[in-house]
Amino acid sequence: MGSIGPIPILPRGPLSALLAIGAVLVCPCDARSNASAHPKPHPIMIEVEGLTKLYDKFPAVSDLSFAVRPGEVMGLVGPNGAGKTTTLRCLSGIIPATHGAVRIVGEDLTTNPVAAKRQLAFFSDEPRLFDYLTVQQHLTFTARIYQVSDYQEIGRRLLEELEMADKIELLPGELSRGMKQKLAIACGLLHSPKVIFFDEPLTGLDPLGIRRMKDSILKRAREGAAIIISSHLLHLLEEVCSHVLILKNGRKVVDGTMGDILQKFSEQSGDANLEEVFFRATGEAKEGK
Amino acid sequence: MIGALIYLQVQSIKNRLRVRLRRLKKPKYLVGAVVGAAYFYFFFFRNLFTGRGGVAAGTADATPPETLLMFESLGALALFAMVLSAWIFPHERAALAFTEAEIAFLFPAPVTRRTLIHFKLVRSQIAILFTTLLLMLITRRFGGGGTAWIRAVGWWLILSTLNLHTLAASFARTRLLERGVSNWRRRVVVLSALSVVLAAAILWVRRTIPAPEASDFASLDTIKYYVRHALESGPAFYVLYPFRLVIRPYLAPDAHAFLLTFGPVLALMLLHYWWVVRSDVAFEEASVELSRKLAERIAAIRAGGNWHSTAGKQKKKRPPFALRPAGIPAVAFLWKNLISAGQAFTLRTWLFLALFAICIGGPMGASRLTPGWLPPTIGIVTAILAGYSLLLGPAILRQDLRQDLVNADVLKMYPLRGWQVVLGELLAPTAILTGAQWCLLLLAVTMFSRIPEGDAVPLTNRLSFGAGAAIIAPMLNLISLVIPNASVLLFPSWVQIGRERAGGIEVIGQRLIFMLGSVLVFAFALLPAAVLFGLVFFLSRLFLGMITALPLSAAVAAAVLAAEAGLAIWWMGRLFERFDLSAESVS
Repeated sequence: MGSIGPIPILPRGPLSALLAIGAVLVCPCDARSNASAHPKPHPIMIEVEGLTKLYDKFPAVSDLSFAVRPGEVMGLVGPNGAGKTTTLRCLSGIIPATHGAVRIVGEDLTTNPVAAKRQLAFFSDEPRLFDYLTVQQHLTFTARIYQVSDYQEIGRRLLEELEMADKIELLPGELSRGMKQKLAIACGLLHSPKVIFFDEPLTGLDPLGIRRMKDSILKRAREGAAIIISSHLLHLLEEVCSHVLILKNGRKVVDGTMGDILQKFSEQSGDANLEEVFFRATGEAKEGK
Repeated sequence: MIGALIYLQVQSIKNRLRVRLRRLKKPKYLVGAVVGAAYFYFFFFRNLFTGRGGVAAGTADATPPETLLMFESLGALALFAMVLSAWIFPHERAALAFTEAEIAFLFPAPVTRRTLIHFKLVRSQIAILFTTLLLMLITRRFGGGGTAWIRAVGWWLILSTLNLHTLAASFARTRLLERGVSNWRRRVVVLSALSVVLAAAILWVRRTIPAPEASDFASLDTIKYYVRHALESGPAFYVLYPFRLVIRPYLAPDAHAFLLTFGPVLALMLLHYWWVVRSDVAFEEASVELSRKLAERIAAIRAGGNWHSTAGKQKKKRPPFALRPAGIPAVAFLWKNLISAGQAFTLRTWLFLALFAICIGGPMGASRLTPGWLPPTIGIVTAILAGYSLLLGPAILRQDLRQDLVNADVLKMYPLRGWQVVLGELLAPTAILTGAQWCLLLLAVTMFSRIPEGDAVPLTNRLSFGAGAAIIAPMLNLISLVIPNASVLLFPSWVQIGRERAGGIEVIGQRLIFMLGSVLVFAFALLPAAVLFGLVFFLSRLFLGMITALPLSAAVAAAVLAAEAGLAIWWMGRLFERFDLSAESVS
């Protein structure tokens, strides 16, 4: 990945009130943020070298290399079956890579998985929760796993910000899909991760939820987190991402800053947006063209 | 239109079979299929091919007519109870169970309600035929000297008529609801009618035969006489008559008798069929709701939840203890899985049970007023239960990797070493089993105050035995739980993960192999501990005496088992770190 690109700032206007609410969503604890702000951030937060994932002999991801620095938001796009989710699952240590190396904040995910995983959070499109634990018990359990000593204060603030403070005694079965997703977010943010992976983060969210989620992502990036988002919603990525990586059949076909890529494709055939770039880069036929 | 629906059904079955056959290319399924087929052959089908040993070989033919009549009456009574329950218990509107895909395709399609009912009937026939086959296998009716087909058709007639009646009753209940007859009013009417019939039957019996005396109940023949008289004559005979008609073909001793009884029941079945297809009741809305609930339940099971998690409102469970944010992470899994296990497994429950064992068992065991045989019998039974829990416990308590591996994505993201996750997952079932066994042992120790019909057992001996068993129990439990959990990591497709149960002959075979393997591994794991136990027991008994020898040798054996368990957990942790559920799903 190239140099650190400027983070696109959302226009402030009539939505400023909403954005203000969204802005606090991702900041679970200022104290923790301040504490973690003292050490100098690692120059490369996510470093991937030659990542390959084989299912039997089928290559789901082939020889993928890239890097994401603090404050960068990378959009991972590609047609169905391109290997986006597999890539994210490999990066978060859920499934082992067949070949290649992944380093999270300088910690190798294979040789030092505990230190690497302490720095990251992965949000899948479908929130995975324990159906017998209440909202509060989910936070208690996560706090013990990540050893978050001041979790009660962080959790309380997170739940308030996510408008779930009155739902702490409820079980996942009693929550709506959006609420479940919020609970998964609260659990994921409890340990203030420096690296965040989102797999289709907007699935099932209402317009207000989408707006808040976008704002949350940007806020985390401003605070120095490195973020990768996999999504088919190209207009969202164009709004939020500073960098783009396009995958096809498990291979990288385009990689760079959003500005550079749009400019490069515009030079070839007039003004291009991310949708145009996607169709041209992947060779997919766009309807009506 | 029905042709299209039958096509859907036939193709679904064909494709399901094709998938099953295709996966036999993999050795793990092929071996499972071979073992499963062997099991079915030796336990069920062997007699079919050799013509030996079938229960039916002459059973029905040789049964005296009075006994057949008795069977007929009892069968009719059971059928009557089932039919009655269809009119009393259900409270919901008529709903035909369709899958979500069927609802999405068929409900908006130009398909009449009657066609949908026919589709449902055709599909239920597949289940009925399968159940018939199963009942024939279980009751070993194959090889019945030429009468097997009579039993098979008999079962089919019973199940089909019952199925049609249940469906028709659901339509009738809905029609009553639409006409303003509430569920309770319907129940009151049905129960009132039942009361009248019962009163008439009792009255008739009391008038026609002398009341039985207490001594009459000592003889089975006298009881049979009263039952026969009550059911085979008077009002009960007439009430049960239609149900007798349904049972009769099954009990027919030969083809001629069968053909004589076949006509009436066929007419009854056709009458039910006419009733079902003529019922113009709106079942669509309730069916959509039912299919949604079914889909939610299946999704919940696939996600590692349980069958009832979406069926009713799941209750919040109290945590067993306060979990602090700092400390050994594995304890978080113990805490979480104890919550999953339910309210019963709190420290308070165990203390209460222990107190109960001491307060009840102690005085009972020591009291001279208690019948001599009772305390030692309870003591022996509880000791056997404690031993038996070692075998049954790991199969029942699945609050470990077998439950949580469906959430492998979440577990693998935690910043923990594999062994920490594995250890954490094993703690809850081990703790529950150990708690239960300690309570049972406590009861056994307090109760086993004397040998049945023999001398008293000194308290020191009992305490020595109890302490030995209590020391070794946790480690035995841990080892017995390590085996299925290691199997999940080694052979995820051989072991049931979550609560969704896979089917098929190959899966039955796989489970049989797994069971046998588990027993062998368990025995092998116990071997070093058993040898050391024997050695230490022999030596310490010589020098320290029996009382000390038992707990001491148990402690040494427990240490060996703990070392084995430690090694196994470390190895399983490595397996967990390399575990790739997606690769399993893909394969």
